[in-house]
Amino acid sequence: MFDEINVKEKGEIMSKEELLAGMAKAVIEGNKEEAVALAKEAIAEKMDLNEVIEKGYVPGIQVAGKLWEEGEYFLPELVTSAECMKAAMGALRPELEKAHIDVKSAGKIVIGTIEGDIHDIGKNLVASILSANGFDVVDLGADVKLEKFIEKAEEEKVDLICLSALLTTTMIGQRKLIEMLKARNFLGRFAVMVGGAPVSQKWADDIGADGYAENALTAVQAAKNLLKKMKKG
Amino acid sequence: MKKRIVLLDGGMGTELIRRGFPQGECPELWNVEKPEVVEAIHRSYFDAGSDVVLTNSFGGSRIKVSAHGLEKRCYELNHAAAQIAKEVKKENEFVAGSMGPTGKFLRPQGEYSEEEFEEAYAEQAKGLADGGVDFLLIETQYDLREAFCALRGARRVCDLPVFVTMTYNHVPRGFFTLMGNSVAQCVKELEKNGVPVLGSNCTLNSEEMADLVKIMRGLTSLPLIAQANAGKPSLSTDGKVSYSQGPEDYIRFIPRIIENGANLIGGCCGTDPEYIRKMAEIIKIGKN
Repeated sequence: MFDEINVKEKGEIMSKEELLAGMAKAVIEGNKEEAVALAKEAIAEKMDLNEVIEKGYVPGIQVAGKLWEEGEYFLPELVTSAECMKAAMGALRPELEKAHIDVKSAGKIVIGTIEGDIHDIGKNLVASILSANGFDVVDLGADVKLEKFIEKAEEEKVDLICLSALLTTTMIGQRKLIEMLKARNFLGRFAVMVGGAPVSQKWADDIGADGYAENALTAVQAAKNLLKKMKKG
Repeated sequence: MKKRIVLLDGGMGTELIRRGFPQGECPELWNVEKPEVVEAIHRSYFDAGSDVVLTNSFGGSRIKVSAHGLEKRCYELNHAAAQIAKEVKKENEFVAGSMGPTGKFLRPQGEYSEEEFEEAYAEQAKGLADGGVDFLLIETQYDLREAFCALRGARRVCDLPVFVTMTYNHVPRGFFTLMGNSVAQCVKELEKNGVPVLGSNCTLNSEEMADLVKIMRGLTSLPLIAQANAGKPSLSTDGKVSYSQGPEDYIRFIPRIIENGANLIGGCCGTDPEYIRKMAEIIKIGKN
């Protein structure tokens, strides 16, 4: 759908629609320079920056995600698109702050791979896609002590704790963390989402996790649904 | 070797855990600290009918062991892995030096250069070769570029034959590695670079593996390796691990894997000596 859009030569003035489509295209194609250049142009043109994000860049990362789910894109393409998104947001940020525009954060998340588990490929992808979709992500890395998840969740006032595990024994840590939250009456304050290759919806239900995501794309929707539910509750 | 199907072994990690290995620690450390356990696992696979066992060194590259703070012991842990298996093997039994992925990415997705990967694999290969393996198996590779780093590293330090298995995901458009390498690309490029035996392991269950073998067979006449997972693992609330493919279900697709053109078969995650014993029965039947 973006093939027919030709970004015009420098000097020519693009319409708002052309700019927005160009932003999406830059993210889809993983063209970082273009994504940043268009962000600067949007600032120069005094465009509504919230609209730029929502109608320009976000649709781009959504298309990239869809292509990944369809098996057209693979990890390198998806990561590159997420990085373009990050670069564009980085270019917009000073202007947003100057104008006191509060960019709507989709929510704050702490994420990590549980202690005893050094696998972080999946976790990194989830963190990067959540961040590209407007979540404020605190990534604790791999081999993270359960206590540290709670400590950081309190300190950073997050909405959601995301726990990754590739090993069946570190999966047990997911249950343990929920028990720890229960014991401290923290349930309801933070939602807990679990993931990782051996993790399933059934396991998430069994241990009382609030959410489960099979992959980085479903994680975005699951996180959004959870936060919506929390706000209502 | 060309006359009949060669039987490899099954899972190592799950067998270690069954014998008390605390998951999350460095499995290669047990080559030094509990060699008798690793030895018992090798023996159980040879007893079940394996012609070849893979050393306990899947995560033994310098990059992987450094996550456990053991980077200075890379050579030692791999050398020990080879020696344990070598001690167990009898006549007409063989030892493959297992070299799994680093778990990291090359630039631009990751932080590493090809030279760093090559170096990490070379050190591991040296330990395995000096410890006495019969050949090296670079396995479970999700990035063809990384597989070539491993290949170059291994060839730099020894003259042993080096085999390569890639791991593929089943996506809507077919089988691809995590990084998007197609089966055709992997098979052709590995063959072009003189890899004498290649194939696939992990990720897929035995039914999907049979389909993949058919595709690989259409692309090369080289001997093919196929080692499928026993499906997917799940954990019950009481902490018991089970795999979606039990031995009976797993075995159902072994004849098809062979028919489709695999020459070296074995198991991967979730398989144990029982799976291998059943596979040995099938191979024997096939011979008659």
